Amino acid sequence: MVLKINHISKNFGGISALTDVSFSINEGEIYGLIGPNGAGKTTMFNLITNIFSPSSGEIIFKEDNITGIKPHKITEKGICRTYQNIRLFSQMSALENVMVGGHCRSESGVMRSVFRTRYQRSEEKTLKENAEELLEIVGLIKYKDVLAENLAYGQQRRLEIARALASDPSLLLLDEPAAGMNENETDSLFDLIKQVQARGITVLIIEHDMPLVMKLCDRITVLNFGEKLAEGTPLEIQNNEAVIEAYLGKEEEDDIA
Amino acid sequence: MLGELLNPYQLQIASFVLINIILAISVYVTLSSGQLSLGSAGFMGIGAYTSALVTIHFEFPIIVGVLVGAVVAGILGILIGIPALRLSGVYLAIATLGLGEVIRVIFVNWESLTNGAVGISNIPQIGREIVFTTRDLGFNATSLGLQNNQFASLSVFLILFVLNIFIIWFIVRQKNSRVGRAFSAIQLDEKAAESMGINVTYYKVLSFAQGAVLAGLAGALFAHVMGYISPSDFAYHRAVEILIFTVFGGSEVIVGSVFGAAFLTLMPEVLRFISEYRYIIYGVLLVILMAVRPQGIIDANILKRLKRSKGGDVHGS
Ligand SMILES: Nc1ncnc2c1ncn2[C@@H]1O[C@H](COP(=O)(O)OP(=O)(O)O)[C@@H](O)[C@H]1O
Ligand SMILES: [Mg+2]
Repeated sequence: MVLKINHISKNFGGISALTDVSFSINEGEIYGLIGPNGAGKTTMFNLITNIFSPSSGEIIFKEDNITGIKPHKITEKGICRTYQNIRLFSQMSALENVMVGGHCRSESGVMRSVFRTRYQRSEEKTLKENAEELLEIVGLIKYKDVLAENLAYGQQRRLEIARALASDPSLLLLDEPAAGMNENETDSLFDLIKQVQARGITVLIIEHDMPLVMKLCDRITVLNFGEKLAEGTPLEIQNNEAVIEAYLGKEEEDDIA
Repeated sequence: MLGELLNPYQLQIASFVLINIILAISVYVTLSSGQLSLGSAGFMGIGAYTSALVTIHFEFPIIVGVLVGAVVAGILGILIGIPALRLSGVYLAIATLGLGEVIRVIFVNWESLTNGAVGISNIPQIGREIVFTTRDLGFNATSLGLQNNQFASLSVFLILFVLNIFIIWFIVRQKNSRVGRAFSAIQLDEKAAESMGINVTYYKVLSFAQGAVLAGLAGALFAHVMGYISPSDFAYHRAVEILIFTVFGGSEVIVGSVFGAAFLTLMPEVLRFISEYRYIIYGVLLVILMAVRPQGIIDANILKRLKRSKGGDVHGS
């Protein structure tokens, strides 16, 4: 088991964003987290990466209780994420963004950096080569010197994935990676995530694109108003009465309207 | 011949330019991790008083005094930098400005140590010290065709010049490294930086302390160039002046700080008649700048264009 969410609740003031949610993710899985807007999906990511701490419950990552550990330590332990509202370092080039992702896998401090010791130079070279390899994988190597803010929307989303991968995570959290992508882009995103899985990385993905989720995920948890509505394989979820009523059915009505 | 070219007065102005460049860089470094500090005048004062006192009372050599001054300012920078993490933007600016005032008030009131508002005179001066030392070693400035005061000013200028080169080299190298990328990441998006595994606390305190060390160093040098300091040298208008060097010149690139400090230090010297209105002019310049060019005179784009046009000349005609 890679990640175990244990009876997690989160209140913001009076609002309960998550209520007693539990699920666990196996190694190598692509795990989906779906549900209508405001269901508490992003909040779950913020709790896992400890942007906020939970009101109650605990989060276990590979046997380790990581509840309340500082965000940068969690990244060191091997969890990295992307954001629903892209948060790249806008004034840095694509390459630099990915190199920042490698920060916690490198260690040269001020003195080594200023005096460019042999260690520092080889580390810098490795960081750069890794970053270029990741840019190649996400199809952005041509744009490595372009400022992140000047990339197209879909490219920015892929750059965020590359940046997260640079931290060499064993669990990757993707928050609506297909949002704003066209069909072609979504197809290549599917391939990319499969490739990530093939590298031995476990993926937890929040996504509204149902065909993509159903094609991609091994298992899915559905949230509704902060509560867990269902858990199962894509097939089970698609045939779950409660899910259809609360979420999938509603989507269809939206499509018709 | 050489003697006629070297005017001690002009050399002294040049030395002030170099000290002001260090001060501007101290703001730049702190700003490069997204922290707007107005504490530089306070840290400068700490460096100046520390170095002046240890060289006078313990007869430390100037170079040791200067290092002690910079280190003490740096330690204070760490102590202030940690609680300062809770503040950002304008709040941090106000708090650090307040800190500077507190430091100044301590200088004024701790009379037994600091001599109060009168200040400290008889601080050993770098120039004189060099003249005496070299004379003891059997060297005479006149053999270069220089008078002693010319030789003294020239030595001070050269020492500061080398120090400036070293500091700029240090900061540029740091910027183009893992540490520099961590600073910019924090400046651009602190939350995202944290999520990418950057220890934000460590790097923010580091850059705050580096700014304090540089300001303390500049203050100590100032004390040993002037030979005389008083609390009013480190008042809030000095803090604002230093900030303006960096903001006017351009805070995105180190060249901006160098340009800003040099230009704004020389301007009142070259145009004597405006010297009295210097703060009014600073204010006006700043207002115009914020309206038309908020990033300051020099930014990354200008530097790129300059480089390109140079490259173009080589390949062109
Ligand atoms: N920082 C916050 N402060 C207050 N309320 C929040 C905060 N973050 C999320 N919420 C609330 O929690 C609920 C779940 O939000 P979120 O997790 O973003 O939903 P989802 O990602 O599923 O669309 C919403 O009602 C939202 O308003
Ligand atoms: Mg969300």
